[in-house]
Amino acid sequence: MPGIKLRFDRYKLLEIFAPVAGFLASIVVLLIIVIVVGESPGEALVAIYKFSLSSSAKVATILSVSIPLFFAGIAVAFAFQSGVFNIGAEGQYYFGGLIGAMAGIYLHLPAFIHIPVVILFSMAGGALWALIPAILKVTKNVHEVITTIMFNSIALALVNYLVNGPLSGLGQGKSLEPQTAKIQSTALFGKLNGFFRMLGWNVPDYVYLDYSLIVAVITGFIVWFVLFRMRHGFEIRAIGISLDVSRYSGMKVKQLQLSAFVISGALSGLIGLQEIFAIRGYYTYGIASGLGFDGIAIALIGKNSPLGVVFASLLFAFLKQAGYGLQFYTSVPNSVIYVITGLMILFIVVINEIVAAYIRTLRKKEAV
Amino acid sequence: MDLSFILFFFVKGLEISSPIAFAALGAVFSERSGVVNIALEGIMIVTTFTIVWAAIALHSIWLGVLFAIVAGSLVALIHAVVSVTFRVDQIVSGVAINIFAVGLSRFLSQKVFGQETQTPTNAYLFPQFLGINSMAFLLIPIALIGWFVLYRTVFGLRLRTVGENPEAADTLGLNVYGLRYAGVIISGALCGLSAATLFPSQWISGMTAGRGYIALAAMIFGRWDPVGAVLASLLFGYADTFRIMFETKIPIPGQFVQMFPYVLAVVVLAGMVGKARAPAADGKPYEKGED
Repeated sequence: MPGIKLRFDRYKLLEIFAPVAGFLASIVVLLIIVIVVGESPGEALVAIYKFSLSSSAKVATILSVSIPLFFAGIAVAFAFQSGVFNIGAEGQYYFGGLIGAMAGIYLHLPAFIHIPVVILFSMAGGALWALIPAILKVTKNVHEVITTIMFNSIALALVNYLVNGPLSGLGQGKSLEPQTAKIQSTALFGKLNGFFRMLGWNVPDYVYLDYSLIVAVITGFIVWFVLFRMRHGFEIRAIGISLDVSRYSGMKVKQLQLSAFVISGALSGLIGLQEIFAIRGYYTYGIASGLGFDGIAIALIGKNSPLGVVFASLLFAFLKQAGYGLQFYTSVPNSVIYVITGLMILFIVVINEIVAAYIRTLRKKEAV
Repeated sequence: MDLSFILFFFVKGLEISSPIAFAALGAVFSERSGVVNIALEGIMIVTTFTIVWAAIALHSIWLGVLFAIVAGSLVALIHAVVSVTFRVDQIVSGVAINIFAVGLSRFLSQKVFGQETQTPTNAYLFPQFLGINSMAFLLIPIALIGWFVLYRTVFGLRLRTVGENPEAADTLGLNVYGLRYAGVIISGALCGLSAATLFPSQWISGMTAGRGYIALAAMIFGRWDPVGAVLASLLFGYADTFRIMFETKIPIPGQFVQMFPYVLAVVVLAGMVGKARAPAADGKPYEKGED
């Protein structure tokens, strides 16, 4: 084993090459689009800079925006590690967030218990929403890509019904947006801004660096530990590399797939924490959508490793802010960021394949 | 319930089924050649935008559909280049294209029409026949042609061979990559016809509403067969037609009625245990042997 590890390390540099090159290539495409639209690339870069990195408040915003993206990325990455394609993070956080919010509204607990409880309920809701596609995959071999997409649509309709109907709390508020009752103060996430200011980082009050950041750090560490330091994680990664080999070596492949799928759902349940418990204080059908799909891009760019997902979610948060900057200062619409994201994934995976082929030929030469 | 109402239900169902059915038919060609095409949703997003854009700009829905077919083929070509030539995981490629397509359509809508989420209405429409978009009737001949091409032509035989056993096909001298490109591009072109039958009067962001994915479910339920895929699409389409025509008369909340096609897709797939078999090399990138 140690010998193999050494050999891999030599090629580490080449492996980082693909994400970096893919990112740069997509920035080039972005600048080309800017030129085609008739704007100056220099001004576009200034616009991006102004909205993303020009002040400590802007940098803090990127960190804040990256929190739900991190959960989305780590959720999808966990399933990917086992070879399961969880496109259902979207539905899982819509449903998980609702279950967590229910615990925040209807359970009466002291804060130090209530906050962990709403986190666990959110995870349980996400896991539950992943359970049926997971069971269908392992027992009936129904491909998870289609079932999870169907479950996304089902979750949206279900949540829409519940928030408008049985769980509507509109009597309490003045807003016209359909929403639940207010979450109790004991379950709300406080901010860490004061703590960061004590450390000398001037984070303004309007930026949300809340308890969900702590949850993200802990989650990232636990996921890393499970995947790379525990037998269960080793087996999950093993079935992701080769189902057949894992089966022949005696692993319970179906149980492993099921558990990876459901854990991925539980992690998806965390995506809504910041918006529901720190920003809004209630649940609504109108919580930010599309994060589950962002998670797929983040997992792919971060190569499914927890650390990679950290970088990829920061990169993604940067891109989102960059999009707003472009829209604000130039005539380039914000949607260009999705064009760029899609292309970036394609560039990265294609460069990956080219690099992999290159490494194979290098190895062959070495062997000779 | 009189006869004309029943006839209308029958015809309307054909119209509502068509976008799914054309895409499902495309999916058959792609998957029989060995390429899973989850990019169908994104391709439909692009073709539905293109048909409206081209029809408004060129004052002709016929040119609109032509451009939609070309646009669908081009997006499919990206999928083919990435997943066939570069052998990237086909689902990863499809997901990336779907993200790209959402961004592209909104970007173009903003730049061309000044509105990100919808275009103006398009007055250049296909002639109506029996009260529906006449293009929907094209489904029947196209499905039969699809069946004929796949099972009664040399091209179809080769396409299926490449999807079942690319190694053997390669040994026989067949152009594996070329045939897979053809399968994928046909699926993109057929998504142009999906656009022709999915409200070509206006493009609205999100109007495809997962029909590309439902088409994949229909293809699986139809056992990777052109006629089967179309019949399965009709099941989804008529279920949806029933929903639309009776939504207000059913005493259950609208959201549950909206879920129906998606629940149906899951139930249908779950009920297919062991009954369907994907082409043997479906989803597997093929690497040409080195010589």
